[in-house]
Amino acid sequence: MAVRSGGFKRRSGTSSDIPSSSMADIAFLLLIFFMVTTVFRREKKRDIDWVNAEATKKIDEKRKNILHLWLDPAGQVWINDQSVADDDIAQVVRPIYADNRELVIAVRGDRDVPYSKINTITKQLQAAGAVRVTFATRLEQRVTRPRR
Amino acid sequence: MPILQRKQRVSDDIPTASMADIAFLLLVFFLTTTVFNEEKGLPIVLPEEKEEQEVSPKNILFLIVRADGSVVVRRGESEQEQIVAYRQVEGILRQELAANENLIAAIKTEPSAAYRHMINVLDEVKKAGAERISLQMVGE
Repeated sequence: MAVRSGGFKRRSGTSSDIPSSSMADIAFLLLIFFMVTTVFRREKKRDIDWVNAEATKKIDEKRKNILHLWLDPAGQVWINDQSVADDDIAQVVRPIYADNRELVIAVRGDRDVPYSKINTITKQLQAAGAVRVTFATRLEQRVTRPRR
Repeated sequence: MPILQRKQRVSDDIPTASMADIAFLLLVFFLTTTVFNEEKGLPIVLPEEKEEQEVSPKNILFLIVRADGSVVVRRGESEQEQIVAYRQVEGILRQELAANENLIAAIKTEPSAAYRHMINVLDEVKKAGAERISLQMVGE
């Protein structure tokens, strides 16, 4: 290549710094993006004793597809912070299921409620057509596993 | 006091060089403090209403959960019953599944039995790798 400008190196006009003045804007933009896209579920936590299970699996489902159904120690059913009578569960769940066919019902029951309550709930859910159910459990870790 | 005003040395700009650091600090703070509550549990698919199937008794293993948490194991066709602790269910079911892979584990719970007893048994059934599970209540 022919040497131009008499062999002298031309001084580069561009700065070699990374422009940092816009960095703050970028960071704030990210911050605001995450703040806006975060969805909070406003639901009161019910005071229940969880059941433990070793086979507990993570439910790989979008949050909007999960409906919590609480069953408190007194046997009262709660859906979306509303107390629901046992016989009305199907009525409450049916429109929610009609809106979202991928609905999974997460039954969060207290460990000491009698099984007849759970049976009522599953019967009602069947009547509503919402057949995908999870029994919410906590992972149980046993220190020693008996081997047979 | 001198009459000439002293030249002010303090710059009147807001320092913007550290702004990015502050913003990223906030970003990282919120990222790390956010807790996602995971959904965990034992998934099961209930049968559609009025689509309950008739199954030949030899493919059913009844696991009857009693109010005190003990489990009665009954092979579908025989009347023979065996009372076990729930911890033993996994082993029994594994053997049965090895012999008959179409086996249905029917968990039949007494109405007064606590929910946790039924979950204990369901947990064992899941651990044994059973795919076909039926939930029933005694007296229905």
